[in-house]
Amino acid sequence: MRQAILVLCLALATASAHAQTPQEIVAKADAVRNPGKPFRTTDLLTEYVSGKPRADDSLVVYSKEDPATHQFRNVVHYVAPPRDEGKMVLLDGHVLWFYDPSSKASVRISPQQRLIGQAAIGDILTVNFAIDYTAALVGTETIEDAARQNRTTWHLDMKAANDQATYSRVEAWVEQGTFYPIKLKAYSDSGRLLKILYYRNFEQRLDSLRPSEAIIIDAVDSSLVTTVKFGDSRYQDIPEAWFHRDYLPRIPAE
Amino acid sequence: MRGAAPLALAVVLAAAGARADENSDLNLIPEAAQPGAAGTPAPPSAPTAGAGSGRLYLEDTANINVIRSPLLVPAPPPPPQDWEERLFFDAREQWKLGDGLSADYSGRLNLRASDRIDIPTHENIRHDFREGYFTWTPADGLFLDAGRINLKSGVAAGYNPTDFFKTHAVVEPISQDPAVLREDRLGTAMVRASYVGERASVIAAFAPQFEHESPVFSYANLPSFDPTFGRTNAHPRLLLKGSFDFGADIAPELLLYREGANTRFGANLTRGIGQKIVAYAEWAGGEETSLVDQALGYGRATGTIPEAAPAVLPDSGRKSFRNDATIGFSYATESNVTFNFEYHYAGDAFTHADWRTWFTQGERLQAIPGVDPQLWYIRAYALDIGQPVSRQGAFLRFDWVDAFVPKLELQGFINVDLFDGSQFAQLEADYYLSNLWTVGAIAATDLGTRHSDFGSLPQAASFLVKLARYF
Repeated sequence: MRQAILVLCLALATASAHAQTPQEIVAKADAVRNPGKPFRTTDLLTEYVSGKPRADDSLVVYSKEDPATHQFRNVVHYVAPPRDEGKMVLLDGHVLWFYDPSSKASVRISPQQRLIGQAAIGDILTVNFAIDYTAALVGTETIEDAARQNRTTWHLDMKAANDQATYSRVEAWVEQGTFYPIKLKAYSDSGRLLKILYYRNFEQRLDSLRPSEAIIIDAVDSSLVTTVKFGDSRYQDIPEAWFHRDYLPRIPAE
Repeated sequence: MRGAAPLALAVVLAAAGARADENSDLNLIPEAAQPGAAGTPAPPSAPTAGAGSGRLYLEDTANINVIRSPLLVPAPPPPPQDWEERLFFDAREQWKLGDGLSADYSGRLNLRASDRIDIPTHENIRHDFREGYFTWTPADGLFLDAGRINLKSGVAAGYNPTDFFKTHAVVEPISQDPAVLREDRLGTAMVRASYVGERASVIAAFAPQFEHESPVFSYANLPSFDPTFGRTNAHPRLLLKGSFDFGADIAPELLLYREGANTRFGANLTRGIGQKIVAYAEWAGGEETSLVDQALGYGRATGTIPEAAPAVLPDSGRKSFRNDATIGFSYATESNVTFNFEYHYAGDAFTHADWRTWFTQGERLQAIPGVDPQLWYIRAYALDIGQPVSRQGAFLRFDWVDAFVPKLELQGFINVDLFDGSQFAQLEADYYLSNLWTVGAIAATDLGTRHSDFGSLPQAASFLVKLARYF
């Protein structure tokens, strides 16, 4: 009898998963993280080395969905630390430009350069995973979230579907029912685990309950951990011209 | 049913194992990053709207040079410095003046001392007025600027043939890294109109002539507070450039530049190849004389070379269509290292035969006063206008973020003369002590035989340490 109940539970869980395709689950989790309208947010990144806070970065991220691809385009404006103030990164499709106001020069950078540094720019860009990845359902798992609360999740395995994807492969755990993204694991081309990411503190932001913080663990050197707090989020009209590299020197200073 | 039970059990056990592994990742989150931990930063608020924005820092540098002696072709005075100490305050600020109007300033105030500069003299203090201009934005995407402006062009890292306003503009940089040379340079007084749209941008800039040409300065005769517009506004200059996005990662930039009676054309193109590579090409071409002609003509015009002095190298004065180009690519690794590989071609620069003549004349004519200065002046002139002395060169640069330990950045580059294999190499290390303090060091060396481009230079090596405080 006990075995029958167990099998029934598994069947129900499987049926629940099949009510949504894996791609739909990813799309709904994207919608929890990102609104459909253009917006800006201020990200405060705190880097921890061996458990101690080491440095703070502050960046303003302007994000707008491209109606043609449904992927976000981003402009990132460095506000702090002072040595980086005014630097900009533009992401439009797979084209990235880095602008340094000191040299007044824009340099084209490769998608791989999004991942450079402990607080990589690729981790704070607004992206819709459903556009860049093809998801498969691994199963239902109950895992602890960043606050050590149990969450019943769909475990998804996502493979890069185009060359714009930040990572080659991502595992994702999305809470059933709420579609809250709970955890991600990102892998390199060679299959090496690069980053572990937890979302936490779901709060009212941009008209919905969204994560207000992410924790990024460097899986290669686990003494390196970065927290990202998302604040000052608000809708903002972002002109199309902002996504032209020659506009970067003209974006208003914060 | 008999078969389903073990299967279900296996799935449950597997899921439980996976869950335990997944939950162990939480142990990697440090206590200090837990919510409510002491020192946890508050959620970010809107950046404070201040009167201005920009970057301010104070930096102290101390460097020593290792001088090569004796030289095959002795260098004219002033002799190289054995050591130099500099303290400078660097500012880049922008102020919003309201209703689409803003003002920008960029400059550096230097205090310096060396074994070759007496104290106190006006050479101990110097202000580099890099930029000062107003911007008016009458409509979305339309910008009008007037004042001293640093207008950069080009997509390459080591040599930018289309960066037409680089000539005579670099002021005593602390590093020979091309990225630093783009930063430590004077703008040109100009009016500029820019339109940036969704798929295209157009820029028109006009710089009037209002001073005579300045001589090529050395460390010993830099003006203290003179903005030296003679370096940047000695000829009327016009630049038109446009960038057009045709989609499919095809977005060339085309340039038309006119200075005095000379016209040059230019083009820039980049293209991504996969996740890790960006390929780029930069070209400029137009009618011009050789580097020797340009240098000796400039020397005579500024009184550095006597009008009557015979030319030590052939200076036909003949104009021909000459090309300058850079082709290269960047490659980023998964280990936080980015490489740039480039081939450089400068159509007006020395050929192998020119180099042979330079050394032959240098050795033969050493006893004739006024001859050596001409030979070295040609090379100093090339450096001053940001052109390679040799026609063909290779460039390799790397930038390694979080090298060995977090917050340590290593950068280095090698310039190779492809005629003789001689090299200039520089390695720089910056360690970010905190958000406000950076400590660093630079080592550079010229490598090659005495009969080579870099091996014939007076400076064999240099070492510099620096400490910067940002505000």
